[in-house]
Amino acid sequence: MELEMEKVMRFMGRYSLGRDNGMGSLHFLRIKIPGGVITSEYFKGIAELSREYGRGYAEITDRQDIQLHWIEGDDALDIFERLEKMGFTTDMCGQAFPGAGHGDVRNIVGCPLSGVNKDELIDGYPVIKELTRFFTGNEDFLDLPKKFKFSISGCMYNCTRAEINDMAFIPVVHDGEIGFTVLAGGGAGKTLPGPTLAKPLRVFLSQEEVFDVAVATVEIFRDHGNRESKAKARFKYLLDQIGVNGLRNMIEKKLGRKLEDYHGDVSREWIEHTGVGEQKDERYYVCVPLIGGKLSSDIMEWYAGLAEEYGTGDLRLTTFQNLIIVNVEDKEGLLKELGKEGVVLKGIIPKWTAVGCASDFCGKTKEYHSKEIVRDIVEHLETSYPNIFVNQDFKIGVSGCPNNCGYSVIASVGLEGRLIRVNGSVKQGYDIYLRGKLENGSIGRRVAEGVPAENVVNVLNKLLEQYKIKLKNESEIRFVDFLEKLSDTEIKKLVEVT
Amino acid sequence: MQEPKLERKSEGEYTLDVRGQTCPFPQILSQLALEKLREGSILEVITDNPPSARDVPIALRKKGYEVEVKKSNGQWHIVVKK
Repeated sequence: MELEMEKVMRFMGRYSLGRDNGMGSLHFLRIKIPGGVITSEYFKGIAELSREYGRGYAEITDRQDIQLHWIEGDDALDIFERLEKMGFTTDMCGQAFPGAGHGDVRNIVGCPLSGVNKDELIDGYPVIKELTRFFTGNEDFLDLPKKFKFSISGCMYNCTRAEINDMAFIPVVHDGEIGFTVLAGGGAGKTLPGPTLAKPLRVFLSQEEVFDVAVATVEIFRDHGNRESKAKARFKYLLDQIGVNGLRNMIEKKLGRKLEDYHGDVSREWIEHTGVGEQKDERYYVCVPLIGGKLSSDIMEWYAGLAEEYGTGDLRLTTFQNLIIVNVEDKEGLLKELGKEGVVLKGIIPKWTAVGCASDFCGKTKEYHSKEIVRDIVEHLETSYPNIFVNQDFKIGVSGCPNNCGYSVIASVGLEGRLIRVNGSVKQGYDIYLRGKLENGSIGRRVAEGVPAENVVNVLNKLLEQYKIKLKNESEIRFVDFLEKLSDTEIKKLVEVT
Repeated sequence: MQEPKLERKSEGEYTLDVRGQTCPFPQILSQLALEKLREGSILEVITDNPPSARDVPIALRKKGYEVEVKKSNGQWHIVVKK
């Protein structure tokens, strides 16, 4: 018997719903916004979807997607149809299958200021668009061993967390030519071989070569990645088995030519494009901090309106879950409008850089979820240390589970949720990680296990109090350097819960 | 991509194999199939996707269908009476 499939089939392979298990939501919709580039018209379009189908709530993810919740399966085809008209697709969410397989190429992240950034060596967005077009709905790439994450950025700063992507293209100058070099095999999650920072492939590529190398790599992953076990199915596991030289050889074999060597530095400062900054065309960008990326449909429409009034109607989403209005001429006027609604673009840097996952919807954590902790830490820093972190940053990453969507293991201070038993009842706890970093990178070290959620801010405060004392003698020392210098005994004493 | 098929097992009994499909397609396809069947028919939906195994019965029960779920060999058999 034939089903009337035309309306359904055309969305398969390009759209899906993910599994929620909290806040009364069964499904999320993760809309890919390649490179975080979106117009006010489509931002409003997604706000309307949020209002009609997602209780007026939306969040920006740390891969520059927009995520809605409370999506009903019955409404999905209408939503997909409207997204299709806007030119957007979604993650395929195949990770819920019990085994390996069903992996897709996830939203490709890029510098949110692509094309307007005065600190840009090269514009990475055209190749993001080209690769997105190629992989979207492409049946040859819908059953990868697991998901595959790309970062492609031409920014001189590391605003996309290149090192925790399966493959990252970062800009370099080589023999006077601007192009990209490649990092491979990164991933922050618990799957084998555990949290891993991507390693340099030591090649130099012109912008025209990026597409072919990217496709060849995903083909290698598809054909050689481990499909026996979900825990071994990510690209980082394959890379661990074959090594970077092995990968390079396989890519070169596929391309039928040798790639040019590059042995230069690949470390860049990990930053967010905070506050107000000048673009290369002398206009301005304005980056609005959103705690945990949380938005409402009304607020989305308001920002879209401001982008139209003060800019060119162009918005950008960042990997730190923030929103940027670009191409602003009257920056003072825009700041005044934002200020009227209490949006202040001054203050501590961590309010832009702290990241929290959607653990409240995921169902793996109990009360006092990641985004709430991020909010409370930022408020605490603003209240108690308002002058210290205006000129220096430290990264706060909060994840509800070891999948590490909130990048706990690469943050200066990372929290990873685990359920704990206190007086016979199950409560939310967090493991504390310190000293993660991407500049000359290292994975954070777990210094405490199962700290009750309500004590987390106090524990962090003990570290901050000690830092404040240290500052009296060493006025130049940054908090991240202070953390580096602490001995194991000092750390143990400071993170001990009394 | 393989097109899911609705197959007749015997008089009034049908199978819909949606293995490999993620949400919301197993739910949507189940509903499409049920629309085609006569009152009293039995539809067995086979899925290997855990979220669908959770969601399809919820959605169909909400619409008033009688639903039973059996799990065997890593897949779910959702038996629906129209």
